[in-house]
Amino acid sequence: MLSSNRRVAIEFVLDHLVWFILVAVLVLFSLTIPNYFQIGIFANIVEQSTFVGTLAIGLSLLIIAGYMDLSIESVMALAAMVVGILFAKSGVGFGFGFTPAWLVVPISLMIALGVGALVGASNAFFVVKLKMNSFIVTLAAFIWGRGLVVALSGGRSAQELPAELRFLAIQRFLQIPLMAWVAIIATLVFAFILNRTPFGRHLLMIGGNPTAAYRAGIKVDRLTATTFVLAGAIAGLAGWLLAIRTSGATANLGVGMLFQTFAAVVIGGVSLKGGVGSLPGVYAGVLLLASIQTAINLMGMPAHFTQLIQGGMVLVAVLLDTFKLSIRKRLA
Amino acid sequence: MTTEAPLLRLEHITRSFGAIQALRDISFEMARGEVVALLGDNGAGKSTLVKIISGGLEPSSGKVIYDGEERHFTSPADGKAAGIETVYQDLSLCTNVDVVANFFMGREIVKKYFGVPVLQEKAMEEVVAKAMAAAGTKIPSLRTNVEHLSGGQRQAIELNRFVHWGGKLVLLDEPFAALGVEQTRRGLDLIRRIADQGIGVVFITHIMSQAFQVADRMVVIRQGTVAGDVRTAETSPDEIVQLITGEALGGRARNVDQSKGQAQPAG
Repeated sequence: MLSSNRRVAIEFVLDHLVWFILVAVLVLFSLTIPNYFQIGIFANIVEQSTFVGTLAIGLSLLIIAGYMDLSIESVMALAAMVVGILFAKSGVGFGFGFTPAWLVVPISLMIALGVGALVGASNAFFVVKLKMNSFIVTLAAFIWGRGLVVALSGGRSAQELPAELRFLAIQRFLQIPLMAWVAIIATLVFAFILNRTPFGRHLLMIGGNPTAAYRAGIKVDRLTATTFVLAGAIAGLAGWLLAIRTSGATANLGVGMLFQTFAAVVIGGVSLKGGVGSLPGVYAGVLLLASIQTAINLMGMPAHFTQLIQGGMVLVAVLLDTFKLSIRKRLA
Repeated sequence: MTTEAPLLRLEHITRSFGAIQALRDISFEMARGEVVALLGDNGAGKSTLVKIISGGLEPSSGKVIYDGEERHFTSPADGKAAGIETVYQDLSLCTNVDVVANFFMGREIVKKYFGVPVLQEKAMEEVVAKAMAAAGTKIPSLRTNVEHLSGGQRQAIELNRFVHWGGKLVLLDEPFAALGVEQTRRGLDLIRRIADQGIGVVFITHIMSQAFQVADRMVVIRQGTVAGDVRTAETSPDEIVQLITGEALGGRARNVDQSKGQAQPAG
Protein backbone atom coordinates (compact mmCIF):
# COMPACT_ATOMS: atom_id res chain seq x y z
CA MET A 1 0.00 0.00 0.00
CA LEU A 2 1.35 3.37 -1.02
CA SER A 3 1.22 6.27 1.36
CA SER A 4 -1.49 8.68 0.32
CA ASN A 5 0.97 11.56 -0.12
CA ARG A 6 2.98 9.62 -2.60
CA ARG A 7 -0.13 8.53 -4.40
CA VAL A 8 -1.30 12.12 -4.68
CA ALA A 9 2.11 13.06 -6.10
CA ILE A 10 2.08 10.26 -8.67
CA GLU A 11 -1.51 11.06 -9.60
CA PHE A 12 -0.54 14.68 -10.11
CA VAL A 13 2.32 13.75 -12.43
CA LEU A 14 0.12 11.33 -14.39
CA ASP A 15 -2.66 13.91 -14.68
CA HIS A 16 -0.28 16.58 -15.94
CA LEU A 17 2.24 14.34 -17.69
CA VAL A 18 1.89 16.18 -20.98
CA TRP A 19 2.99 19.51 -19.46
CA PHE A 20 6.15 17.89 -18.10
CA ILE A 21 6.86 16.35 -21.49
CA LEU A 22 6.18 19.66 -23.27
CA VAL A 23 8.59 21.59 -21.05
CA ALA A 24 11.23 18.87 -21.37
CA VAL A 25 10.92 18.82 -25.16
CA LEU A 26 11.06 22.62 -25.44
CA VAL A 27 14.17 22.77 -23.24
CA LEU A 28 15.81 19.96 -25.19
CA PHE A 29 15.10 21.59 -28.57
CA SER A 30 16.17 25.02 -27.32
CA LEU A 31 19.50 23.61 -26.20
CA THR A 32 20.23 21.42 -29.21
CA ILE A 33 18.68 23.12 -32.23
CA PRO A 34 20.20 26.43 -33.32
CA ASN A 35 17.68 29.28 -33.57
CA TYR A 36 14.93 27.31 -31.82
CA PHE A 37 14.93 29.52 -28.74
CA GLN A 38 13.18 32.62 -30.10
CA ILE A 39 9.93 34.35 -29.27
CA GLY A 40 9.04 34.22 -32.95
CA ILE A 41 9.41 30.44 -33.02
CA PHE A 42 7.26 30.00 -29.96
CA ALA A 43 4.62 32.36 -31.34
CA ASN A 44 4.71 30.33 -34.53
CA ILE A 45 4.13 27.12 -32.57
CA VAL A 46 1.05 28.68 -30.98
CA GLU A 47 -0.14 29.90 -34.38
CA GLN A 48 0.29 26.46 -35.91
CA SER A 49 -1.70 24.96 -33.06
CA THR A 50 -4.83 26.94 -33.94
CA PHE A 51 -6.68 24.42 -36.09
CA VAL A 52 -5.72 21.16 -34.43
CA GLY A 53 -6.20 22.89 -31.08
CA THR A 54 -9.76 23.87 -31.98
CA LEU A 55 -10.64 20.47 -33.45
CA ALA A 56 -9.23 18.80 -30.35
CA ILE A 57 -11.80 20.48 -28.09
CA GLY A 58 -14.76 18.74 -29.69
CA LEU A 59 -12.99 15.42 -30.09
CA SER A 60 -11.93 15.50 -26.42
CA LEU A 61 -15.46 16.19 -25.20
CA LEU A 62 -16.77 13.21 -27.15
CA ILE A 63 -14.01 10.82 -26.14
CA ILE A 64 -14.44 11.89 -22.51
CA ALA A 65 -18.14 11.07 -22.85
CA GLY A 66 -17.13 7.64 -24.18
CA TYR A 67 -17.71 8.20 -27.90
CA MET A 68 -15.62 8.85 -30.98
CA ASP A 69 -15.77 11.45 -33.71
CA LEU A 70 -13.72 10.81 -36.82
CA SER A 71 -15.74 13.25 -38.91
CA ILE A 72 -14.22 16.45 -37.50
CA GLU A 73 -11.57 16.87 -40.21
CA SER A 74 -14.10 16.64 -43.03
CA VAL A 75 -16.56 18.83 -41.16
CA MET A 76 -13.84 21.44 -40.81
CA ALA A 77 -13.09 21.26 -44.54
CA LEU A 78 -16.78 21.41 -45.38
CA ALA A 79 -17.35 24.51 -43.24
CA ALA A 80 -14.25 26.15 -44.73
CA MET A 81 -15.42 25.34 -48.26
CA VAL A 82 -18.92 26.69 -47.67
CA VAL A 83 -17.44 29.92 -46.29
CA GLY A 84 -15.01 30.00 -49.24
CA ILE A 85 -17.71 29.47 -51.85
CA LEU A 86 -20.01 32.09 -50.36
CA PHE A 87 -17.56 34.85 -49.53
CA ALA A 88 -14.32 34.37 -51.52
CA LYS A 89 -13.99 36.64 -54.53
CA SER A 90 -12.28 34.33 -57.03
CA GLY A 91 -12.12 30.67 -57.98
CA VAL A 92 -15.43 28.96 -57.16
CA GLY A 93 -16.32 31.77 -54.73
CA PHE A 94 -19.43 33.90 -55.27
CA GLY A 95 -17.97 36.78 -53.26
CA PHE A 96 -21.14 37.81 -51.43
CA GLY A 97 -20.64 41.03 -49.50
CA PHE A 98 -22.56 43.10 -47.00
CA THR A 99 -22.93 46.71 -45.99
CA PRO A 100 -21.37 47.44 -43.61
CA ALA A 101 -18.66 45.08 -44.80
CA TRP A 102 -17.72 43.81 -41.33
CA LEU A 103 -21.05 41.95 -41.15
CA VAL A 104 -19.29 39.19 -43.06
CA VAL A 105 -17.45 38.23 -39.86
CA PRO A 106 -20.45 37.21 -37.70
CA ILE A 107 -22.46 35.92 -40.66
CA SER A 108 -19.69 33.68 -42.01
CA LEU A 109 -18.99 32.46 -38.45
CA MET A 110 -22.66 31.56 -37.94
CA ILE A 111 -22.72 29.72 -41.26
CA ALA A 112 -19.57 27.75 -40.43
CA LEU A 113 -20.88 26.84 -36.98
CA GLY A 114 -24.23 25.92 -38.52
CA VAL A 115 -22.68 23.62 -41.12
CA GLY A 116 -20.70 21.87 -38.38
CA ALA A 117 -23.66 21.61 -36.05
CA LEU A 118 -25.72 20.08 -38.87
CA VAL A 119 -23.22 17.28 -39.47
CA GLY A 120 -22.91 16.86 -35.71
CA ALA A 121 -26.69 16.53 -35.45
CA SER A 122 -26.67 13.89 -38.16
CA ASN A 123 -23.99 11.96 -36.25
CA ALA A 124 -26.02 12.34 -33.07
CA PHE A 125 -29.13 10.99 -34.79
CA PHE A 126 -27.43 7.80 -35.90
CA VAL A 127 -25.52 7.23 -32.65
CA VAL A 128 -28.13 8.26 -30.08
CA LYS A 129 -31.44 7.50 -31.79
CA LEU A 130 -30.46 4.48 -33.88
CA LYS A 131 -27.86 3.23 -31.37
CA MET A 132 -25.20 2.82 -34.05
CA ASN A 133 -21.52 2.63 -33.19
CA SER A 134 -20.06 6.15 -33.17
CA PHE A 135 -16.80 5.00 -34.72
CA ILE A 136 -18.59 3.74 -37.84
CA VAL A 137 -21.10 6.58 -38.05
CA THR A 138 -18.43 9.26 -37.86
CA LEU A 139 -16.11 7.34 -40.18
CA ALA A 140 -18.91 7.46 -42.72
CA ALA A 141 -19.29 11.21 -42.13
CA PHE A 142 -15.52 11.59 -42.52
CA ILE A 143 -15.80 10.03 -45.97
CA TRP A 144 -19.00 11.65 -47.22
CA GLY A 145 -18.01 15.00 -45.72
CA ARG A 146 -14.86 15.10 -47.81
CA GLY A 147 -16.85 13.84 -50.79
CA LEU A 148 -19.25 16.74 -50.37
CA VAL A 149 -16.34 19.21 -50.25
CA VAL A 150 -15.05 17.91 -53.58
CA ALA A 151 -18.54 17.83 -55.07
CA LEU A 152 -19.37 21.38 -53.99
CA SER A 153 -16.12 22.83 -55.29
CA GLY A 154 -15.83 20.60 -58.33
CA GLY A 155 -12.32 19.93 -57.11
CA ARG A 156 -11.37 23.56 -57.58
CA SER A 157 -10.55 26.14 -54.94
CA ALA A 158 -12.01 29.37 -53.63
CA GLN A 159 -9.65 32.28 -53.07
CA GLU A 160 -9.54 35.79 -51.68
CA LEU A 161 -11.69 36.19 -48.62
CA PRO A 162 -12.61 39.79 -47.75
CA ALA A 163 -10.11 41.83 -45.72
CA GLU A 164 -12.53 42.02 -42.79
CA LEU A 165 -12.07 38.28 -42.29
CA ARG A 166 -8.38 38.19 -43.15
CA PHE A 167 -7.87 40.71 -40.35
CA LEU A 168 -8.12 37.85 -37.84
CA ALA A 169 -5.19 36.03 -39.46
CA ILE A 170 -3.02 39.11 -39.89
CA GLN A 171 -3.62 41.21 -36.81
CA ARG A 172 -1.52 40.09 -33.86
CA PHE A 173 -1.78 40.49 -30.13
CA LEU A 174 1.40 39.63 -28.19
CA GLN A 175 2.91 38.38 -31.47
CA ILE A 176 0.15 35.81 -31.79
CA PRO A 177 -2.52 36.23 -34.49
CA LEU A 178 -6.08 36.84 -33.30
CA MET A 179 -7.31 33.55 -34.74
CA ALA A 180 -4.91 31.64 -32.46
CA TRP A 181 -6.40 33.57 -29.55
CA VAL A 182 -9.81 32.39 -30.68
CA ALA A 183 -8.61 28.79 -30.31
CA ILE A 184 -7.06 29.51 -26.90
CA ILE A 185 -10.18 31.25 -25.62
CA ALA A 186 -12.38 28.44 -26.94
CA THR A 187 -10.17 25.94 -25.08
CA LEU A 188 -10.47 27.92 -21.85
CA VAL A 189 -14.23 28.35 -22.20
CA PHE A 190 -14.77 24.63 -22.74
CA ALA A 191 -12.32 23.75 -19.98
CA PHE A 192 -14.50 25.82 -17.67
CA ILE A 193 -17.64 24.11 -18.95
CA LEU A 194 -16.08 20.69 -18.44
CA ASN A 195 -14.81 21.33 -14.92
CA ARG A 196 -17.21 23.76 -13.37
CA THR A 197 -20.68 23.25 -14.83
CA PRO A 198 -23.21 20.43 -14.38
CA PHE A 199 -23.06 19.78 -18.13
CA GLY A 200 -19.34 19.01 -17.98
CA ARG A 201 -19.65 17.04 -14.77
CA HIS A 202 -22.39 14.91 -16.29
CA LEU A 203 -20.31 14.38 -19.42
CA LEU A 204 -17.50 12.92 -17.28
CA MET A 205 -20.01 10.72 -15.48
CA ILE A 206 -21.45 9.42 -18.74
CA GLY A 207 -17.94 8.54 -19.84
CA GLY A 208 -17.29 6.80 -16.53
CA ASN A 209 -20.52 4.85 -16.15
CA PRO A 210 -23.41 5.75 -18.46
CA THR A 211 -25.78 3.34 -16.72
CA ALA A 212 -25.17 4.95 -13.35
CA ALA A 213 -25.65 8.39 -14.87
CA TYR A 214 -28.90 7.30 -16.47
CA ARG A 215 -30.16 5.79 -13.23
CA ALA A 216 -29.30 9.00 -11.41
CA GLY A 217 -31.72 10.79 -13.69
CA ILE A 218 -29.16 12.45 -15.93
CA LYS A 219 -30.54 12.82 -19.44
CA VAL A 220 -27.79 10.80 -21.05
CA ASP A 221 -29.20 10.75 -24.58
CA ARG A 222 -29.86 14.45 -24.71
CA LEU A 223 -26.44 15.26 -23.31
CA THR A 224 -24.71 12.93 -25.75
CA ALA A 225 -26.61 14.37 -28.70
CA THR A 226 -25.73 17.90 -27.55
CA THR A 227 -22.08 16.95 -27.38
CA PHE A 228 -22.07 15.59 -30.93
CA VAL A 229 -23.66 18.83 -32.15
CA LEU A 230 -21.11 20.84 -30.15
CA ALA A 231 -18.20 18.82 -31.55
CA GLY A 232 -19.56 19.47 -35.05
CA ALA A 233 -19.94 23.19 -34.39
CA ILE A 234 -16.41 23.39 -32.97
CA ALA A 235 -15.09 21.65 -36.09
CA GLY A 236 -17.05 24.29 -38.01
CA LEU A 237 -15.21 26.95 -36.02
CA ALA A 238 -11.90 25.31 -36.93
CA GLY A 239 -13.00 25.38 -40.57
CA TRP A 240 -13.85 29.06 -40.34
CA LEU A 241 -10.40 29.82 -38.89
CA LEU A 242 -8.68 27.68 -41.50
CA ALA A 243 -10.54 29.40 -44.34
CA ILE A 244 -9.47 32.77 -42.94
CA ARG A 245 -5.88 31.62 -42.63
CA THR A 246 -5.69 30.27 -46.18
CA SER A 247 -7.94 33.07 -47.47
CA GLY A 248 -10.27 30.54 -49.06
CA ALA A 249 -10.52 26.80 -49.34
CA THR A 250 -9.21 23.96 -51.44
CA ALA A 251 -10.76 20.54 -51.90
CA ASN A 252 -8.03 18.82 -49.90
CA LEU A 253 -7.89 21.42 -47.13
CA GLY A 254 -6.77 20.03 -43.78
CA VAL A 255 -6.15 16.47 -44.92
CA GLY A 256 -4.32 14.57 -42.18
CA MET A 257 -5.42 16.83 -39.35
CA LEU A 258 -7.72 14.15 -37.92
CA PHE A 259 -4.80 12.01 -36.88
CA GLN A 260 -2.81 14.94 -35.55
CA THR A 261 -5.85 15.88 -33.48
CA PHE A 262 -6.32 12.33 -32.35
CA ALA A 263 -2.67 12.10 -31.31
CA ALA A 264 -2.83 15.43 -29.49
CA VAL A 265 -5.96 14.43 -27.59
CA VAL A 266 -4.46 11.16 -26.41
CA ILE A 267 -1.07 12.71 -25.65
CA GLY A 268 -2.98 15.40 -23.76
CA GLY A 269 -4.18 12.81 -21.28
CA VAL A 270 -7.68 11.99 -22.52
CA SER A 271 -8.22 8.29 -21.94
CA LEU A 272 -9.70 6.33 -24.82
CA LYS A 273 -11.69 4.42 -22.21
CA GLY A 274 -13.67 7.59 -21.56
CA GLY A 275 -14.30 9.57 -18.41
CA VAL A 276 -10.80 11.02 -18.02
CA GLY A 277 -9.22 14.15 -19.47
CA SER A 278 -8.77 17.89 -19.25
CA LEU A 279 -8.79 20.44 -22.04
CA PRO A 280 -5.71 22.45 -20.99
CA GLY A 281 -3.82 19.13 -21.12
CA VAL A 282 -5.10 18.53 -24.61
CA TYR A 283 -3.94 21.98 -25.68
CA ALA A 284 -0.51 21.13 -24.27
CA GLY A 285 -0.62 17.98 -26.40
CA VAL A 286 -1.31 20.12 -29.46
CA LEU A 287 1.57 22.45 -28.58
CA LEU A 288 3.85 19.44 -28.11
CA LEU A 289 3.10 18.13 -31.60
CA ALA A 290 3.60 21.58 -33.12
CA SER A 291 6.93 21.99 -31.26
CA ILE A 292 8.20 18.75 -32.71
CA GLN A 293 7.04 19.69 -36.20
CA THR A 294 8.78 23.04 -35.88
CA ALA A 295 11.97 21.30 -34.78
CA ILE A 296 11.85 19.03 -37.82
CA ASN A 297 11.39 22.06 -40.09
CA LEU A 298 14.23 23.96 -38.44
CA MET A 299 16.61 21.04 -38.78
CA GLY A 300 15.83 21.03 -42.48
CA MET A 301 14.59 17.49 -42.51
CA PRO A 302 12.37 16.54 -45.45
CA ALA A 303 8.64 16.99 -44.84
CA HIS A 304 7.83 13.31 -44.98
CA PHE A 305 9.75 12.89 -41.72
CA THR A 306 6.94 14.82 -40.05
CA GLN A 307 4.50 12.15 -41.14
CA LEU A 308 6.77 9.37 -39.96
CA ILE A 309 7.16 11.00 -36.58
CA GLN A 310 3.47 11.79 -36.27
CA GLY A 311 2.62 8.16 -36.96
CA GLY A 312 5.04 7.17 -34.26
CA MET A 313 3.58 9.76 -31.91
CA VAL A 314 0.07 8.31 -32.28
CA LEU A 315 1.44 4.91 -31.37
CA VAL A 316 3.39 6.28 -28.42
CA ALA A 317 0.33 8.20 -27.25
CA VAL A 318 -1.90 5.13 -27.17
CA LEU A 319 0.90 3.17 -25.53
CA LEU A 320 1.16 5.91 -22.91
CA ASP A 321 -2.59 5.72 -22.33
CA THR A 322 -2.36 1.99 -21.64
CA PHE A 323 0.73 2.48 -19.51
CA LYS A 324 -0.90 5.17 -17.38
CA LEU A 325 -3.95 2.99 -16.91
CA SER A 326 -1.83 0.14 -15.58
CA ILE A 327 0.01 2.47 -13.19
CA ARG A 328 -3.30 3.80 -11.92
CA LYS A 329 -4.59 0.27 -11.44
CA ARG A 330 -1.58 -0.57 -9.35
CA LEU A 331 -2.13 2.60 -7.32
CA ALA A 332 -5.74 1.76 -6.59
CA MET B 1 -48.37 0.60 11.36
CA THR B 2 -51.60 -1.31 10.80
CA THR B 3 -53.71 1.79 10.44
CA GLU B 4 -51.30 3.42 8.04
CA ALA B 5 -51.54 2.74 4.32
CA PRO B 6 -48.81 0.41 3.11
CA LEU B 7 -45.76 2.00 1.56
CA LEU B 8 -46.06 -0.16 -1.52
CA ARG B 9 -48.80 -2.39 -2.81
CA LEU B 10 -48.59 -4.40 -6.01
CA GLU B 11 -51.83 -5.72 -7.47
CA HIS B 12 -51.81 -8.42 -10.14
CA ILE B 13 -48.69 -7.21 -11.91
CA THR B 14 -47.89 -8.94 -15.19
CA ARG B 15 -45.12 -8.29 -17.63
CA SER B 16 -44.46 -9.91 -21.00
CA PHE B 17 -41.46 -9.67 -23.29
CA GLY B 18 -42.89 -10.67 -26.64
CA ALA B 19 -44.23 -14.19 -26.22
CA ILE B 20 -42.45 -14.68 -22.91
CA GLN B 21 -44.37 -13.91 -19.76
CA ALA B 22 -41.79 -12.93 -17.17
CA LEU B 23 -44.35 -11.99 -14.53
CA ARG B 24 -47.75 -13.72 -14.51
CA ASP B 25 -49.45 -12.35 -11.42
CA ILE B 26 -47.61 -10.58 -8.64
CA SER B 27 -49.40 -9.13 -5.62
CA PHE B 28 -47.90 -8.16 -2.29
CA GLU B 29 -47.52 -5.18 -0.05
CA MET B 30 -45.01 -3.80 2.38
CA ALA B 31 -44.95 -1.23 5.17
CA ARG B 32 -42.59 1.61 5.97
CA GLY B 33 -39.49 0.49 7.79
CA GLU B 34 -39.95 -3.06 6.63
CA VAL B 35 -37.16 -5.15 5.09
CA VAL B 36 -38.44 -7.57 2.51
CA ALA B 37 -36.21 -10.21 0.97
CA LEU B 38 -37.16 -11.12 -2.58
CA LEU B 39 -36.14 -14.71 -3.23
CA GLY B 40 -36.42 -16.98 -6.23
CA ASP B 41 -34.48 -19.07 -8.67
CA ASN B 42 -32.64 -17.59 -11.64
CA GLY B 43 -35.18 -16.40 -14.17
CA ALA B 44 -38.04 -16.37 -11.69
CA GLY B 45 -38.68 -12.71 -12.46
CA LYS B 46 -37.11 -10.96 -9.45
CA SER B 47 -35.09 -8.46 -11.43
CA THR B 48 -38.02 -7.71 -13.73
CA LEU B 49 -40.16 -7.02 -10.68
CA VAL B 50 -37.56 -4.72 -9.16
CA LYS B 51 -37.35 -2.79 -12.42
CA ILE B 52 -41.11 -2.38 -12.49
CA ILE B 53 -41.17 -1.02 -8.94
CA SER B 54 -38.39 1.48 -9.68
CA GLY B 55 -39.76 2.64 -13.03
CA GLY B 56 -37.15 0.99 -15.26
CA LEU B 57 -39.89 -1.12 -16.86
CA GLU B 58 -43.62 -0.63 -17.15
CA PRO B 59 -45.94 -3.52 -16.23
CA SER B 60 -48.07 -5.03 -19.01
CA SER B 61 -51.01 -4.95 -16.61
CA GLY B 62 -51.69 -4.53 -12.91
CA LYS B 63 -51.36 -1.69 -10.45
CA VAL B 64 -48.44 -0.21 -8.55
CA ILE B 65 -49.77 1.64 -5.54
CA TYR B 66 -47.06 3.54 -3.75
CA ASP B 67 -47.42 5.94 -0.87
CA GLY B 68 -51.21 5.76 -1.12
CA GLU B 69 -51.48 6.54 -4.82
CA GLU B 70 -51.51 4.54 -8.01
CA ARG B 71 -48.30 5.27 -9.95
CA HIS B 72 -47.28 4.92 -13.56
CA PHE B 73 -43.54 5.38 -13.61
CA THR B 74 -42.13 5.54 -17.11
CA SER B 75 -38.46 5.97 -16.20
CA PRO B 76 -36.14 5.49 -13.23
CA ALA B 77 -36.19 9.28 -12.93
CA ASP B 78 -39.94 9.14 -12.15
CA GLY B 79 -39.35 6.51 -9.48
CA LYS B 80 -36.49 8.49 -8.06
CA ALA B 81 -38.56 11.65 -7.89
CA ALA B 82 -41.11 9.68 -5.85
CA GLY B 83 -38.40 8.40 -3.49
CA ILE B 84 -37.78 4.95 -4.93
CA GLU B 85 -34.25 4.05 -5.88
CA THR B 86 -32.36 0.96 -6.93
CA VAL B 87 -28.88 0.04 -5.88
CA TYR B 88 -27.75 -2.49 -8.43
CA GLN B 89 -25.20 -5.24 -8.32
CA ASP B 90 -22.93 -3.33 -10.68
CA LEU B 91 -23.08 -0.25 -8.43
CA SER B 92 -24.69 2.99 -9.50
CA LEU B 93 -21.53 5.03 -9.07
CA CYS B 94 -19.19 6.72 -11.50
CA THR B 95 -15.80 5.60 -10.28
CA ASN B 96 -13.93 8.20 -12.35
CA VAL B 97 -15.18 11.12 -10.25
CA ASP B 98 -14.91 11.85 -6.52
CA VAL B 99 -17.21 11.04 -3.61
CA VAL B 100 -18.83 14.48 -3.61
CA ALA B 101 -19.61 14.32 -7.32
CA ASN B 102 -21.17 10.89 -6.90
CA PHE B 103 -23.22 11.99 -3.94
CA PHE B 104 -24.73 14.82 -5.96
CA MET B 105 -24.97 12.97 -9.26
CA GLY B 106 -27.66 14.76 -11.27
CA ARG B 107 -28.60 17.12 -8.38
CA GLU B 108 -25.55 19.33 -8.13
CA ILE B 109 -25.69 22.56 -6.18
CA VAL B 110 -25.21 25.38 -8.67
CA LYS B 111 -25.15 29.11 -8.63
CA LYS B 112 -26.00 30.99 -11.80
CA TYR B 113 -23.64 33.60 -13.11
CA PHE B 114 -25.09 35.41 -16.12
CA GLY B 115 -27.39 32.44 -16.61
CA VAL B 116 -24.55 29.91 -16.59
CA PRO B 117 -24.90 27.31 -13.84
CA VAL B 118 -21.62 26.89 -11.96
CA LEU B 119 -20.91 24.01 -9.58
CA GLN B 120 -20.56 25.00 -5.92
CA GLU B 121 -17.94 22.49 -4.84
CA LYS B 122 -17.40 23.76 -1.31
CA ALA B 123 -21.09 23.80 -0.45
CA MET B 124 -21.49 20.31 -1.84
CA GLU B 125 -18.52 18.96 0.09
CA GLU B 126 -19.94 20.31 3.36
CA VAL B 127 -23.27 18.60 2.76
CA VAL B 128 -21.60 15.27 2.02
CA ALA B 129 -19.33 15.52 5.07
CA LYS B 130 -22.37 16.12 7.27
CA ALA B 131 -24.38 13.27 5.78
CA MET B 132 -21.50 10.81 6.06
CA ALA B 133 -20.78 11.79 9.64
CA ALA B 134 -24.44 11.38 10.57
CA ALA B 135 -24.45 7.84 9.20
CA GLY B 136 -21.15 6.97 10.85
CA THR B 137 -19.47 6.28 7.52
CA LYS B 138 -15.77 7.05 7.40
CA ILE B 139 -14.10 7.80 4.12
CA PRO B 140 -10.51 9.12 4.10
CA SER B 141 -11.11 11.97 1.66
CA LEU B 142 -14.31 13.07 -0.01
CA ARG B 143 -12.18 14.29 -2.91
CA THR B 144 -10.87 10.81 -3.67
CA ASN B 145 -12.11 9.26 -6.87
CA VAL B 146 -14.44 6.42 -6.03
CA GLU B 147 -12.24 3.95 -7.96
CA HIS B 148 -9.83 4.03 -5.01
CA LEU B 149 -12.46 3.03 -2.46
CA SER B 150 -13.47 -0.43 -1.30
CA GLY B 151 -16.71 -2.16 -2.23
CA GLY B 152 -18.15 -1.59 1.22
CA GLN B 153 -17.33 2.12 1.15
CA ARG B 154 -18.95 2.41 -2.26
CA GLN B 155 -22.12 0.81 -1.01
CA ALA B 156 -22.16 3.07 2.01
CA ILE B 157 -21.91 6.09 -0.30
CA GLU B 158 -24.86 4.84 -2.31
CA LEU B 159 -27.06 4.12 0.66
CA ASN B 160 -26.20 7.39 2.41
CA ARG B 161 -26.91 9.21 -0.82
CA PHE B 162 -30.27 7.51 -1.01
CA VAL B 163 -31.25 8.38 2.56
CA HIS B 164 -30.02 11.93 2.17
CA TRP B 165 -32.18 12.58 -0.87
CA GLY B 166 -35.36 11.66 0.92
CA GLY B 167 -35.68 8.11 -0.34
CA LYS B 168 -38.61 6.11 0.99
CA LEU B 169 -38.12 2.75 -0.67
CA VAL B 170 -34.75 1.30 -1.61
CA LEU B 171 -34.37 -1.67 -3.90
CA LEU B 172 -31.19 -3.68 -3.65
CA ASP B 173 -30.35 -6.20 -6.35
CA GLU B 174 -27.76 -8.65 -4.98
CA PRO B 175 -26.18 -5.92 -2.86
CA PHE B 176 -23.40 -8.04 -1.39
CA ALA B 177 -22.43 -10.14 -4.39
CA ALA B 178 -18.98 -8.59 -4.61
CA LEU B 179 -18.26 -8.02 -0.94
CA GLY B 180 -16.21 -9.90 1.65
CA VAL B 181 -17.52 -11.28 4.93
CA GLU B 182 -16.80 -8.24 7.07
CA GLN B 183 -18.09 -5.77 4.47
CA THR B 184 -21.25 -7.82 4.05
CA ARG B 185 -21.85 -7.72 7.79
CA ARG B 186 -21.50 -3.94 7.77
CA GLY B 187 -23.82 -3.75 4.77
CA LEU B 188 -26.47 -5.75 6.59
CA ASP B 189 -26.11 -3.44 9.60
CA LEU B 190 -26.57 -0.47 7.30
CA ILE B 191 -29.78 -1.97 5.86
CA ARG B 192 -31.14 -2.41 9.35
CA ARG B 193 -30.26 1.16 10.26
CA ILE B 194 -31.90 2.50 7.14
CA ALA B 195 -35.07 0.51 7.80
CA ASP B 196 -35.13 1.80 11.37
CA GLN B 197 -35.44 5.29 9.93
CA GLY B 198 -38.76 4.26 8.38
CA ILE B 199 -37.46 3.44 4.93
CA GLY B 200 -38.73 0.38 3.10
CA VAL B 201 -36.04 -2.00 1.86
CA VAL B 202 -36.57 -4.66 -0.80
CA PHE B 203 -33.55 -6.78 -1.51
CA ILE B 204 -32.87 -9.59 -3.90
CA THR B 205 -30.46 -12.21 -2.75
CA HIS B 206 -29.44 -15.75 -3.49
CA ILE B 207 -27.88 -16.24 -0.10
CA MET B 208 -30.49 -17.34 2.36
CA SER B 209 -28.47 -16.65 5.50
CA GLN B 210 -28.43 -12.95 4.54
CA ALA B 211 -32.19 -12.96 4.08
CA PHE B 212 -32.70 -14.58 7.45
CA GLN B 213 -30.31 -12.15 9.16
CA VAL B 214 -31.95 -8.93 8.10
CA ALA B 215 -35.37 -9.43 6.49
CA ASP B 216 -38.68 -9.00 8.31
CA ARG B 217 -40.52 -10.82 5.59
CA MET B 218 -39.69 -13.00 2.61
CA VAL B 219 -41.46 -12.99 -0.69
CA VAL B 220 -40.67 -15.92 -2.93
CA ILE B 221 -41.18 -15.58 -6.67
CA ARG B 222 -41.52 -18.68 -8.81
CA GLN B 223 -42.25 -18.65 -12.52
CA GLY B 224 -43.56 -15.10 -12.38
CA THR B 225 -45.98 -15.54 -9.48
CA VAL B 226 -45.74 -15.10 -5.73
CA ALA B 227 -45.12 -18.61 -4.43
CA GLY B 228 -44.86 -17.54 -0.82
CA ASP B 229 -45.11 -14.45 1.39
CA VAL B 230 -44.04 -15.29 4.92
CA ARG B 231 -42.72 -13.55 8.02
CA THR B 232 -39.12 -14.44 8.72
CA ALA B 233 -39.93 -15.34 12.29
CA GLU B 234 -42.51 -17.87 11.13
CA THR B 235 -40.54 -19.74 8.53
CA SER B 236 -37.44 -21.86 8.08
CA PRO B 237 -34.82 -22.19 5.39
CA ASP B 238 -36.32 -25.53 4.33
CA GLU B 239 -39.71 -24.04 3.75
CA ILE B 240 -38.16 -21.24 1.69
CA VAL B 241 -36.19 -23.72 -0.42
CA GLN B 242 -39.38 -25.64 -1.08
CA LEU B 243 -41.14 -22.45 -2.09
CA ILE B 244 -38.29 -21.50 -4.38
CA THR B 245 -37.96 -24.85 -6.11
CA GLY B 246 -41.67 -25.62 -6.02
CA GLU B 247 -41.08 -29.11 -4.73
CA ALA B 248 -43.84 -30.56 -2.61
CA LEU B 249 -42.96 -31.98 0.78
CA GLY B 250 -41.45 -35.20 -0.41
CA GLY B 251 -38.31 -37.24 -0.09
CA ARG B 252 -36.01 -34.35 -0.85
CA ALA B 253 -37.73 -32.03 1.53
CA ARG B 254 -37.27 -34.45 4.37
CA ASN B 255 -33.56 -34.58 3.64
CA VAL B 256 -33.44 -30.85 3.79
CA ASP B 257 -35.22 -31.02 7.12
CA GLN B 258 -32.22 -32.67 8.70
CA SER B 259 -30.03 -29.70 8.06
CA LYS B 260 -32.49 -27.41 9.73
CA GLY B 261 -31.14 -24.10 10.84
CA GLN B 262 -28.36 -24.02 8.31
CA ALA B 263 -28.24 -21.57 5.50
CA GLN B 264 -29.28 -23.00 2.17
CA PRO B 265 -28.11 -21.65 -1.11
CA ALA B 266 -31.13 -20.62 -3.09
CA GLY B 267 -30.25 -21.93 -6.45
